[in-house]
Amino acid sequence: MPRSKARAAARPKALSAALTLPLLAGCEGAQSALAPAGEDAAVLATLFWVMLSGAVVLFLAMNGLFFYLTRIRVQAQSETVARWLIVGGGIVLPFVVISALLVWGLSILPDHRQAGDGLRIRVTGEQWWWRVEYWPEGATEPVISANEIRLPAGQRTELILDSAHVIHSFWIPALGGKMDMFPGRETFLSLRPTQPGTYRGQCAEFCGASHAWMAFEAHVMAPEAFDDWLAAQAGPAQTALSDAARRGAGIFTREGCGACHTIRGTEHIGVVGPDLTRVGSRTTLGAGRLGVSLDAYRAWITHTGDLKPEVEMPAYDHLSEAEATDLAQYLRGLE
Amino acid sequence: MNDESNTSDRPREDEDRHAFAAEAHSLWRITFAPTVWALHFVLCYGLVSLSCAKELIPIATVQAVLTALSLLALAIIAWLGFRSLRQWRVLVTGQLEHPEGTPESRHRFLGHAAFLLSVISAIGVIFVSMPLILIGGCQ
Repeated sequence: MPRSKARAAARPKALSAALTLPLLAGCEGAQSALAPAGEDAAVLATLFWVMLSGAVVLFLAMNGLFFYLTRIRVQAQSETVARWLIVGGGIVLPFVVISALLVWGLSILPDHRQAGDGLRIRVTGEQWWWRVEYWPEGATEPVISANEIRLPAGQRTELILDSAHVIHSFWIPALGGKMDMFPGRETFLSLRPTQPGTYRGQCAEFCGASHAWMAFEAHVMAPEAFDDWLAAQAGPAQTALSDAARRGAGIFTREGCGACHTIRGTEHIGVVGPDLTRVGSRTTLGAGRLGVSLDAYRAWITHTGDLKPEVEMPAYDHLSEAEATDLAQYLRGLE
Repeated sequence: MNDESNTSDRPREDEDRHAFAAEAHSLWRITFAPTVWALHFVLCYGLVSLSCAKELIPIATVQAVLTALSLLALAIIAWLGFRSLRQWRVLVTGQLEHPEGTPESRHRFLGHAAFLLSVISAIGVIFVSMPLILIGGCQ
C-alpha cells in the first residue's frame, strides 16, 4: 500500500494501513478460501472477487451520487430525472445484476456433485472428530482412518458425508465449498485439488462444546504417492516395537483402550473412537487439536477433557508419567 | 374506501356504492398474478421433490411439464399485465399518479398496482424456472 508511505505523517491513514496489512496476510494460509488450491475453490474465489468488485463499484456509485446530489448539485431535480433514477437504479439495474448472478450461481451449483475419477471417501462427523473410510474404485471393503483426509492431486474425488449424532459441516476452504453433514442422511461433495500441499479443514456448523476443536488436516499428494500411501494404510498395524512401545502396548490392553479403539492386527477392535492403526502417521492429534510430539500424545492421554471439553474419551490421569510416556511411545510409533 | 360517509345526498351515495361494487372485482384481480406465481412455485418444488427425492416420476418428464407450465404461467401473467396496463390507462393519459379520490382514480390506481404485481410475478416465475434449464437434473 503506497499511500502509507506517501503520507506517513497522516496518523489515521498510517494506522488504518497498519491495521489492514495483517488482515491481508489472513487471506493466505492453509485454511483460506482466497488462496485456492483446487478447481472447486478457484471457482468460488472468482465468484467472491467478482461480487466484491461489483459491491465496491456499487458502493462508490451510490455514495458518489449521494454526494453529488447533496453537496454539488443541491437544487431540486426534475421529476423525469428522479423517475429515471428510480426505475433505472431501483428496478432495472438490480434486476439485471441479480439475474446475472443467479444464472452464474445456478450454473456452478451442480458442480459439487460432479462424478469423480474413482476414489470415494466416506466421512462421518462424530463428537468431535471425523471417521474416514477410503473406497478406491472396485474396493469391497474400505481402508479405515480418522481425523485426516488425503486426496490425490489432479483427480476428482467423491466425498460421501454423514453424521452420527448432530449436524456438522465439512469444509476445506482451500479446496472447495462446505457441505453439511446430517445424521441419517448422506450428502455429497466432489473435490478436485490441483496443488499438492497440506490444508486445514474445520467443522463449520456449531455442534457442541468442542465444535471449535473439530478440525483436521487435508493432505493433497501426487497420485503415485497417494496410491503408495493408501496401499500402506490398508495393512495391519506395525509389529516391530521398541521396548518402551511394547510396554505401552501392554498398558493399552490393560486400560481397556481397545473397547473403543481399533488397532488392526491386534485384539483391539473397538469402533466408538477413532481407528488408531496408523495414528502415528497422522499430522495432528485429537482431530486437529494438538501436534504430534511425544508431549502432545502424553497430554492428550492424561488431560483429554481439558483439551477437548465434553469429549467422550476419559482422561487417563491415573497413569504414572512413565506409563503415559510408554503408551505415548507405542501410539506414536504406529505409523 | 369509506367514501360514503362524507356524502349525504342519496343519488351520489348509490353511485359510489355501484362504483365500489364494480371496483371490488379489480381488487380481486390484483391478486391473480401473484397467485399464478405462487401456484407455479408450489408445482415446481412439489414435482421436483416427487422426482428427485421420491423417484416417482422421471426428471425428464418433470422438466418438460414444468417448462410448459412456466410458459403457461408467463402467458397468463402477461395477459393479466396487459389488462391491468389498460386499466391503468397510463399510455393514453400519460398520468402516473392518481391523487384525486374519485372512483376513476381508484380504478386506475388498482390497474397500476396490478400491473406492478404482474411484473414482479413474472420475474418470480422466471427466477424459479431458471434451475430447470441451468441445472437440468437432480444434482
